[in-house]
Amino acid sequence: MSAVIEARNVFKTYRLGRVDVPVLRGASLSVGKGECVAVLGASGSGKSTMLHLLGGLDRPDARRDRGTGTGDQNEGGEVSFEGRSLAGMSAGELDHFRSAQVGFVFQFYHLLPELDVMQNTLIAAMVRWGRLGYTRRAAELRGRARALLERFGLGHRLRHRPVELSGGERQRVAIARALMNSPPVLLADEPTGNLDQKTGSSILDAIMDVRRAEGLTMVLVSHDERVAHRADRVVNLVDGKVA
Amino acid sequence: MPLLAALAVALCTAMVLVVWSVMGGFLTLLLNSGKSMIGDVSITWPVRGIPHYERLIERLEKDPAVAAATPLVETIGLLGLPGGDTKTVQVLGVEPAGYDRVTGYFARLWWRPLEEPLPRDDKREDPRLTEPAMAKWLEAGKVLRRADLVTGAERPAVVLGIEVARPNNQRTEGGFIQPRWNYMPEEEVTLSVLPLSQRGVAIDTRALRFAVANEFRSGLYDVDANWVIVPLDSLQHMLRLDRAERVREGESARHGGVTRDPTGRESFAAPSVTEIEPARATTVLVKAADGVTANGLRERVAAIYREFAEAEGRGAPPPGAVPIFTWEKKPGLESFIAAVQKETALVLVLFAFISLTAVFLVFAIFWSMISEKTKDIGVLRAIGASRTGVAWLFVRYGLALGIVGSALGGVLAWLVVSNINPIHEWLGRALGIVVWDPSIYYFDQIPTDMELGKAAIVLATGVLSAAVGALIPAARAASMDPVRAIRFE
Repeated sequence: MSAVIEARNVFKTYRLGRVDVPVLRGASLSVGKGECVAVLGASGSGKSTMLHLLGGLDRPDARRDRGTGTGDQNEGGEVSFEGRSLAGMSAGELDHFRSAQVGFVFQFYHLLPELDVMQNTLIAAMVRWGRLGYTRRAAELRGRARALLERFGLGHRLRHRPVELSGGERQRVAIARALMNSPPVLLADEPTGNLDQKTGSSILDAIMDVRRAEGLTMVLVSHDERVAHRADRVVNLVDGKVA
Repeated sequence: MPLLAALAVALCTAMVLVVWSVMGGFLTLLLNSGKSMIGDVSITWPVRGIPHYERLIERLEKDPAVAAATPLVETIGLLGLPGGDTKTVQVLGVEPAGYDRVTGYFARLWWRPLEEPLPRDDKREDPRLTEPAMAKWLEAGKVLRRADLVTGAERPAVVLGIEVARPNNQRTEGGFIQPRWNYMPEEEVTLSVLPLSQRGVAIDTRALRFAVANEFRSGLYDVDANWVIVPLDSLQHMLRLDRAERVREGESARHGGVTRDPTGRESFAAPSVTEIEPARATTVLVKAADGVTANGLRERVAAIYREFAEAEGRGAPPPGAVPIFTWEKKPGLESFIAAVQKETALVLVLFAFISLTAVFLVFAIFWSMISEKTKDIGVLRAIGASRTGVAWLFVRYGLALGIVGSALGGVLAWLVVSNINPIHEWLGRALGIVVWDPSIYYFDQIPTDMELGKAAIVLATGVLSAAVGALIPAARAASMDPVRAIRFE
C-alpha cells in the first residue's frame, strides 16, 4: 500500500528555557490510504509531536550530520503527503494543506468560545475558501455542516455555544469541524483523553463511522487501549522512536 | 474589553472635535467681531487724508463688486471721562448711516430696548428690558446727536465702546451690562485731539465736549475698550480736515479788507477766495457685494482707486503710496488674528498628542486580548489560517473598533457642541462650576463652530489610530507558533 502520509526518520527537539528537550529521535511512520493507525506511547514519548509534524503544524529539525557538519533541512527527517515533501511547500501551500488535506481533532476540543456550534463547524470552511469563496458556496457549505452535525446527533444544538455543551458534544463539534472540508486525512490527538469511558466510546464509534463512510486515512494518538483495539495498526513510540 | 478600546477612541475623538470646534468658534467669533467695525476693505491715507473722497465713493459704489462705501477719519485722542479719568482712545469720525451700511454699526449699539432677555438672564435683570429711555438713546446713537440736557438743543454726540467706561459698566453673569453709577448716555465727555499739518507737525490741541449718545459692543475687547465714534464733520473740523478756503494774502477768513460804499460808509469785504481745500477722510471703508470675497474686492478697489487718482491728478495721493488692505490685514488686527490662530493650532497639537493615548490604549487592549486568544489563534492556524489572515483579522477588528469608536465620538462631540451652553449652565446651577463667566471672559456664550471638514479629519484619524494600535498585536498574533499557541496555558 502506498503511503498517503509519511514521516521518515524525523527528529524534533524543543527548547525549554535553556534546556534542549529531544522529543523525536529519528522516528518513522508511514500510513497507507484508508488505513487507521493508532500511535501509542507514554506521556512525553513524542506522540503529539509526531501528529503535529504529520499535520504540517510543525517542521522536523534539520538533521545534522556530525561528519559533514551540515544542517540542511532536506537531509534526514522528512514528512511527506502523497509523495510530496512538506518541507518543499511554501507557507501558503502549507496553510492550504492544513485546511484542505488534513482534519485535526484535539484532546481539549479547542472550539472558539464566542461562536456557536454551527459557526464553529463552518469556520473551517471560511478559512479554506476565504470570504468571497465562502459567500459563493454558503448554502452548500451550511448544508454540509448541518449534515455533519446531525450525523453526530447535534442537529438540535446548532445555536448553542461550547460552554453550553457537554465534553462529548464539544468533541463531536470538533470532529465535524475537522471533516468540514472533506480532508482525506484525519489526525486526532487523544480524542477521548478528556472524556469518561462511555462518552469516549461513543466518540470512537463516531470517528470509526466516519472513517468507514468516507474512506478516511486516520492517525489516532492516544494512550487509551480502546483506541488501539479499533485501529488497523498500532505503532508504539518509545523515547522518541518507533519501537 | 474591545468595548473599552472603542470607548477610548470615542472619548479621544470627541475631545479633539469639541476642542477644535470651540477654538474654531472662538476664532470665528473674534474674526467676525474684528471685521464688524471695519468693513471688508480699507483705503487709508493717515494724517493727510484723501481729498475728494466723495468722488471716490461715488466711483466705488457704481462698481457691482461694491455693496457700499463710507468715509472715515481715524485718529488718536484723549478722552476725559466723568469722574476725572482720562484715557487714550482711537477716535473714529463717521457718517452714521453710511457707516452702518458698510459695517452694520447700528446693530452694535448696546443701549436699546429689548423684548427678550439674554439667554443667561434668568431673572430678567437687564435694564434694557425696562428702562424707558432706551429707545431715545438708540436713536441718538444712530444719528450721533443728542439733545443737550440743559438747553435741549441738538449737539454732536459720541458713542463709546462699552468697555471704555469700564469701572462704570459692569459685566454680569447674566451677560448684560449693569452701570454702577449712571448710564453713560446721560453723561458728557471731553475729547482732545491733536491736528497735524500736511508735514505731520502738530498744530495745536483741539478739545470738544461731547454728549454721550450711546455705547457700542463689537465683541472684540480691544475695540470695545479703546474706540469711540463721533460725527465725521466734528472730527474733521477738530483735525482741520474739513473743507477750507484759502484767501488772498493779507485777508483773513472773515474779511478781505475794508470797503466804502458811495455814502462813505465803511464795511468789511468778503475775503477773496483763491483756493478751496476739499474735506478729507483718512480712510474709506468698502463693503463687498454678495458673493464677492474680500480679496476679490481689494483687487477691484485698487483698480478703481488708480482710476480716481488718475482723474484727480495731483489732488489725490498716488496709488502706489496708498495702502489698500482687506480687513484681515488691518494693522493690529492681523497680528491679533495670527496670535489666536497660532494658539488654536497649539492647543490642537496638544490635544492630538493626548489623543495618542487612544492608540496606546487600543494597543494595550489588543495585546491583552491576543494573550487571551492565544489558543484560538493556534486553532485557527491549525485549521489552515495563514499568518496574514490572522494578522488581518485583528487589524480589521481594530478598524471596526475605530469606526465604531469614531462614530460614537462624533455623535458625542456633536451633542456636546450643540448643547454646550445649556450643559455649561446646568453645571453652574447643579455643581457651581462656571468655566465661562461672562463677567470675566469677553463673551457670554461659549462659541462653537463644527465644520464638516474638521470633523471628517478627526474621525478618520480616530479610525486610523485604532488600526495602528492593533498593528503590533496583530503582527504578534500572526507570528505565533501554532503548536505553542495550542498548548498555551
